Amino acid sequence: MKRHYALAVAGAVTAATCLSPMPKAQAQIATVYNTSEPPTIRVAIRGLNPWGEPDPRGRVMWVQNVPFNQYCEDVLPNEWIPSWDVDALKAGAMAIKMFAWYHHLHPVTIDGFTFDVDNTTNFQTFEYLSRQPETTAAVNAIRNFAYVKPNGEIIELNYRAGDKDSPNWQYRNAQKMAQWGSEFWAKQGRTYVQILQFYYMDRRLQQYR
Amino acid sequence: MKRRKMSKQVVGYSIVGAMLLALSAPDLGKGLALTHVHHPAQTYHHKSVPTLAPGSAESILPTEPGAQLLAVGPSTPGGSVAPKPSEVQPPGPPTTPRAERPPSPSPNQPPGPADSAAPPPTPTNLQPLYRLGKLRIHVIDGRTTKPLSGAEVVLIETEQRLTTDKDGYTGWFEAPIIRNPRYRPLIQELHGQLGVVVYKNGYRDSVHLGIRIHDEAPAQATVWMYKIGPGDTRIEPVLYEEPYHHLWLIDLADRFRSKSQLGEGFQHP
Repeated sequence: MKRHYALAVAGAVTAATCLSPMPKAQAQIATVYNTSEPPTIRVAIRGLNPWGEPDPRGRVMWVQNVPFNQYCEDVLPNEWIPSWDVDALKAGAMAIKMFAWYHHLHPVTIDGFTFDVDNTTNFQTFEYLSRQPETTAAVNAIRNFAYVKPNGEIIELNYRAGDKDSPNWQYRNAQKMAQWGSEFWAKQGRTYVQILQFYYMDRRLQQYR
Repeated sequence: MKRRKMSKQVVGYSIVGAMLLALSAPDLGKGLALTHVHHPAQTYHHKSVPTLAPGSAESILPTEPGAQLLAVGPSTPGGSVAPKPSEVQPPGPPTTPRAERPPSPSPNQPPGPADSAAPPPTPTNLQPLYRLGKLRIHVIDGRTTKPLSGAEVVLIETEQRLTTDKDGYTGWFEAPIIRNPRYRPLIQELHGQLGVVVYKNGYRDSVHLGIRIHDEAPAQATVWMYKIGPGDTRIEPVLYEEPYHHLWLIDLADRFRSKSQLGEGFQHP
């Protein structure tokens, strides 16, 4: 009887050990040191509205694999204005790249499609082969750099339109870059790093290539 | 700010003035498009803008001091590029687009005083003046995305004709920065818009409208062409229209937003 009792206890302990949730290993933080720039990015292409423009509420039609650098080149002219100051464009290029990199690390599944970003303002406006010479130059100028937390963590650099001819201080408080604000500061002679430092606090520029 | 209505006559005089200014500065066009010029968006946004008289919309000119204004060259069928800015001269005889030219007088008509002296320029017979920007067109096969060489590109606004090289590119050429005159009194567009028609044997014609062209940055546009297949019985041109830049749309919506009906509200972080 004792033997049976001991076996039962041993079995119960084993079962409890197997069924109890294991202490979760802390998820490794994705940093610029342990993560390489994605070679491609999955872009969900949404349906068009009746005027022929990609509709942020449209259904996902397919997912396009785009080389990461080309993706940045085809977003920047649709988010920033190509005739803006070169430092505003570089600041924009950095925000677009880090936004995309972050979402590549955090993909979503909608309507049965798994993707990193879509082609509308839900994420960033992307139009295939819409690159422009000035914006492509800005993307290439910051190609070897990332703008990350002091420990190298890759975080989403978010941005919004903002107001014209204004430094857009309220966006700094929200840790988002104002697109019009980037042009404002560039016209004041700020470099792209200074513009990024203004809107995103406690981050730093890190060369990773 | 009170808006002032301008009669056609006043518009005509202001254009004459602008042309005289252009004539008095011979090197006005040097380094156009890539030089640092004042962005018109800043100018129009803060100035009172005259209400457009019907039929004179295209004749309202950017008139800020020091603005570089150039005449758009005449159409050059078969030519590869537009004339250089330094070569562009304000027109002697009116060189409005073909469709807008007034009918030429009949040879039997007796010469009147207008033949001995140039008629006074009016908005209807003056060539519109625009800033020029750099543009090139890239033509690809829409299914394979391979470049298409030998395609003929026609810029609708100026009737310039260009041909693509082996990489599918036209050369860089100068094109007018034409902003939609309908919106000028409301809010200055951030870029001009142009259209091209592209022809290539064996392919459907492609009409590409709304190509964005900027004052201070060269622009390029990719035109997708589709091969005519054996099953294609009704063959018509393919249209693609580039959307407005969304930064401009935000501006436009904010401009008329009232405090009592905020809608989605002003942009905020």
